[in-house]
Amino acid sequence: MYAEVDVEKCTGCRVCEKVCPTLSINVVGEKKEKLAVVDLDTCAGCGACAERCQFEAVVLKTLDEPKVISVDPHSVDEEKIYELCVKASLHPEQIICYCTGTRAEEVAAAILMGASSPEEVSRMTGVRTGCKVECIQPILRLLKAAGIEPKPLKDGWQWYGITPTIWDIPEDVVKKYSARGFYFEEDRALFKKLLDTIKAGGE
Amino acid sequence: MNIRFNKPVKPLPPKPSRYGPDPEHIKTRACDLKNIVSVKVRDLFPDITESIYPSEKGVKAVREATVNALEKVDMNMIKPKDSVNILGSHHGFTILGGEPYAEMLKTIKDVIMDRTGAENIRLRVGVGLRFRESDEYIKRFGLDDYFNKRARGVAPIDEGIPIETEIGTLYGIKRCYDADWIVHAHNSDVREIHFHRHVDRAVKPFGMSYARLETRSTYHQNLGPRGANFVARAIFNSEFVQKKWTFATFLKPTPAGIAGVDADNDLFALDERLSIDNFRYYGKVLTLLSHIEDCIAVLDFQAPIPYVFSAGMIFANFSAASIDIFDLDYPLPGYTWYTEAFYGKNDKPLIPDISPVNPAVKAMVINYAWGGYPSVFWAKMIPTIVVGEWQADVFRRDPQNIEFMRHAVVAEDLEAAIEFAIKIADTDKIIVFDGAPGVINVSESLAEELVEKASEVDMEVEQKLLPKWCRQRGIKLEGYADVPAH
Repeated sequence: MYAEVDVEKCTGCRVCEKVCPTLSINVVGEKKEKLAVVDLDTCAGCGACAERCQFEAVVLKTLDEPKVISVDPHSVDEEKIYELCVKASLHPEQIICYCTGTRAEEVAAAILMGASSPEEVSRMTGVRTGCKVECIQPILRLLKAAGIEPKPLKDGWQWYGITPTIWDIPEDVVKKYSARGFYFEEDRALFKKLLDTIKAGGE
Repeated sequence: MNIRFNKPVKPLPPKPSRYGPDPEHIKTRACDLKNIVSVKVRDLFPDITESIYPSEKGVKAVREATVNALEKVDMNMIKPKDSVNILGSHHGFTILGGEPYAEMLKTIKDVIMDRTGAENIRLRVGVGLRFRESDEYIKRFGLDDYFNKRARGVAPIDEGIPIETEIGTLYGIKRCYDADWIVHAHNSDVREIHFHRHVDRAVKPFGMSYARLETRSTYHQNLGPRGANFVARAIFNSEFVQKKWTFATFLKPTPAGIAGVDADNDLFALDERLSIDNFRYYGKVLTLLSHIEDCIAVLDFQAPIPYVFSAGMIFANFSAASIDIFDLDYPLPGYTWYTEAFYGKNDKPLIPDISPVNPAVKAMVINYAWGGYPSVFWAKMIPTIVVGEWQADVFRRDPQNIEFMRHAVVAEDLEAAIEFAIKIADTDKIIVFDGAPGVINVSESLAEELVEKASEVDMEVEQKLLPKWCRQRGIKLEGYADVPAH
């Protein structure tokens, strides 16, 4: 799929720019001439622009030939991928994008190949181009594990920041709410068991 | 139990939506299949509260119930010149056609205006992963006019606002909080138990419908399968939200219909009340469904795969019910995103704690469903037959389901799909998820099984499960001894 702009309807309001996870739609021109333009080389057809344009000026069209967006984790040192994933408390095989089925190892590989922002990760792997919602935090965690702390785009709404994980929850909060059904300690044990399978060499 | 089976109850007609197939294509409904009958939910579980809707009064009954519920609510904090955002969610509109929820929203506005003199009352309706869905409902139910052009859908990719909480910074949708006051207008049915595990059910929209993508990702990736909904509590308890907080009003569905409306300034008190009702009523229905030994699930409703209904229970819950998903001793239901995440490249669980998708579901036939929700997991785990190229195209064109049709086959029509499903499933038991009100449309063979097991399930829930579920969440249950929570 790819995004197509209806020039008759586009007002150049820039909302599409603010929500595009691959920075593939940009408004060009001045004043009344302003118009959104799509970069078809990087557009992943996620539809964020089409879904938020209040003028219904963007539609999704089907590509003549499907486009595959992915990074081969085997093209990067496996040890380094594992190291990065473990540092981010993610199992390398753990799915982090439920829409594209992308696993942590592929995002780690993209970062090791030079991706330094969620937008670059998305362009290389396709994550964040399905629902556009659920996978931002593991991407930020893997970037942080690689020593990269990207800044959100000025005026962009793509993402704002990294948020806490179960490992960051203060102990007093864990204790306070355990009797209310929040089983943080038990869930930590579950994650630990998952991560321990890497150390044990399990797959 | 002596129950006569009834003719199947027709579901509501298909609705046009950018997320689903053209309703023109949906000519045969699952309830039209031979051997399908309906079982009334209140015949199975007579203690389920009688419904005010559907009833002869129509949505007037919902208006009356809303007015009555709001009588006990304090609105003195709202002054005539103040602005008020009524916060809603798309979920409410999927219940019994959406009219009851729309009527509740309209009534809340009217009562606030009458009681406080405030006129600047807006409606903000959150969504899941279909960012235009709430706009479709706003248009369908005339809410934009009703709210003087101040009604709009909001999405998790809209402009955000940071919210400081006791676990750190989380993010809300700015437009939800751009008024002096907020009113939380939701629905109490259990819905996504697999995600929230019915811990703080009433609070969930603060971590989801009204929240930005960063927060939702925290919920589904960072906090774990039993701690996820804490983001909602953290945001709700924040100083930022509490300064704007007024009250909550909840439409109260049961598996049999709409039982009423509840309202309170104290959201946690409301949550305790609805939790007990939900454990008792939805708990019985889900426990009964989880006792089904084998079946074909037919999806036939205007919602994405996980959100199609049978007896008020969504398909995602049924597919997850290889364990008791209310029971917090089990870490991972058969379906939840943490479960899906923990399957390796060979489609096998990475750790032994993973419960399988409900093994009773031997095949899934999709007669009518929307896209707009990542659903490939079900197609990978359950033999899946999609009825018609028009329905297959919904998935093929959906950025959230790019691989779905690689794992499903297409049948020309519903009859052919069922014929094939019976062969591969080796069962003639069919359960239909079509949202038919107050009943479960099932094959006669499955109806007999449900009737046979219902009274035993009733006792199991009342005596064993209900007290356990409450105890795990620190909810005091009248008439039961206090037991340490966990």
